[in-house]
Amino acid sequence: MAELFATLSPQDWQAIRLTLKLCLYTTVILLLLGTPLAWWLSLSDSKLRTAIQAIVALPLVLPPTVLGFYLLLLLGPHGAVGSTLEQLGFNHLAFSFSGILIGSVVYSLPFTVQPLMDSFRRMGPRPLEVAATLGACKLDQLFSVVLPLCRGGFIIAATLTFAHTLGEFGVILMLGGSIPGETQVLSVLIYDHTEAMNYAQAQQLSLGLLVSAFVVLFIVYGLNRRNQREAVL
Amino acid sequence: MSLFQITARQGKHWLAVTEQNCPRQTTTGLTLKLTMQRGDFCLQIDNCLPLRGVTALFGRSGCGKTTLLRAIAGLDRHTGAEVQCGATIWQQDGRFVPVHQRRIGMVFQESSLLAHLTVEQNLLYGFKRLAKHAAIQLKPEQVIQMLELTPLLQQVPSQLSGGQRQRVALGRALLSQPQLLLLDEPLASLDQQSRCEILPFLQSIACQTGIPMLLVSHQLDDVVKLADNLVLMQDGRIHSQGPLQQQLLQPQLAAIGAMSMLDAKSHGCNNHLLKLSIGQQQLQLPAPQHCDSANYSPTSYRLRIQARDVALSLTPLNDSSVSNQLQVSISGFNSAPHPAETLVQLTLEGQPLQALLTKHSVERLGLQVGQQVYAQIKAVALD
Repeated sequence: MAELFATLSPQDWQAIRLTLKLCLYTTVILLLLGTPLAWWLSLSDSKLRTAIQAIVALPLVLPPTVLGFYLLLLLGPHGAVGSTLEQLGFNHLAFSFSGILIGSVVYSLPFTVQPLMDSFRRMGPRPLEVAATLGACKLDQLFSVVLPLCRGGFIIAATLTFAHTLGEFGVILMLGGSIPGETQVLSVLIYDHTEAMNYAQAQQLSLGLLVSAFVVLFIVYGLNRRNQREAVL
Repeated sequence: MSLFQITARQGKHWLAVTEQNCPRQTTTGLTLKLTMQRGDFCLQIDNCLPLRGVTALFGRSGCGKTTLLRAIAGLDRHTGAEVQCGATIWQQDGRFVPVHQRRIGMVFQESSLLAHLTVEQNLLYGFKRLAKHAAIQLKPEQVIQMLELTPLLQQVPSQLSGGQRQRVALGRALLSQPQLLLLDEPLASLDQQSRCEILPFLQSIACQTGIPMLLVSHQLDDVVKLADNLVLMQDGRIHSQGPLQQQLLQPQLAAIGAMSMLDAKSHGCNNHLLKLSIGQQQLQLPAPQHCDSANYSPTSYRLRIQARDVALSLTPLNDSSVSNQLQVSISGFNSAPHPAETLVQLTLEGQPLQALLTKHSVERLGLQVGQQVYAQIKAVALD
């Protein structure tokens, strides 16, 4: 194993660091955005909910290239967001880390929202009603009831989001290209290595991703099993 | 026993028994005004309930009992509703005091313990959140002792039986120092054994703490064991309310199984028989197990007597196995659910008693209002 890593080039290491940074940022941002969204989705029964739920699930069915294409149009120099940013004196977001971060957030959204929504639904409104009758305000309820009771859901949401971002390829290639240190993440680098016939290097990185993805999923399913047992009790 | 009157709206009195007025700006009652339409169901409440002792909200499933209780707690917000508990306004016009600021304790139908906390942490959840200057009437030690929770403190809810969970939920609600305790069918999800486990605790809490309780139930048995006042709900309205003894005479309850409740004084046990008196008259019943003559203290008992367990005779029977024979006077006749039967209303030392007889028997004996007769009581449930 040590020999394997010894042959990683500085470019490989840069891609690994960039990938981990992207995964971490995406997970943190999605937990902050996804929690209120999942909460609303688990409670509301309006027609709007169905629409929002469908939009949240879109990245699951769309080819990443479609998503990447529209994001490129939107965030690029001629897009609504990109051009506005340029007018304000900033850079547009295509082919930048911020750009692929936004892409990742959109792409992994269902992987945060779905497990959170499931665990909020499983908890039901009763524990919160109980807490309210015992004098806990909304914020207090979040920390003393929701977070501990849905801890499993949060862990699963975080790991899945992290793992899914790790495996992201199409959106990043469309939106970010392959700029070392900026948008060249592992999956893109593996593609570049393969294109350049560097099969040995592609193999190393692929195997690394394969093993880490398996470990992450193993942890998630283990937690899921424990969670279900707790729910039965 | 508290007597009260429904505030007369549209000039209509629903109940004749009155002693104390409960006007709109009362400081002793729970004033409610609530109109709600959901599909075919319409809830229309404009009443004042007593804030003393145990008040049972009784009615069929789906008559709006739980909806009313949730509105009182503030768990559901209905526009235009008014809720005033004593002098405290909880909801009126645009004003709405959120649940966590209302001083209520609530026990839900099914287990509602917070699964991630131990019994002790559950008990203290509300207590810890009391305002610093809040008056503490019930201390944790007191409640733990009263509900016999000491051996459970370090356990988690999943280790407890249904009855134990409800006991913890009750203790937790009490420790939040409520000015009103709301019980939403707290016994409904329990088996018979667990019910018997928790009922005595509910009874002792009612008399020891003096916290007014509102008990939602569709089990008449539980209501008769616990309640001082009975509020009869029907199709989203309060049909009638009043002291339990009087309310048991309502024809709606006869359909479920007419019964009477009598208050009796105890005079101790002898040969496993418990001696009771109602006014001047005596009764003997098989003594409950905890009653032994050595450690005897006079207490009062609540007797539940099914109307079908009461027989009448014109003269005292000396050659009958029924030994509980009481002199009563007939105060009226009501129709019974079965067309061949009649409910005979009796007065026993000022307390109402009902007997279910066939119309044939009533004619054969020539029973009339005002007549003195003898009631043979075949079975009594003691509380």
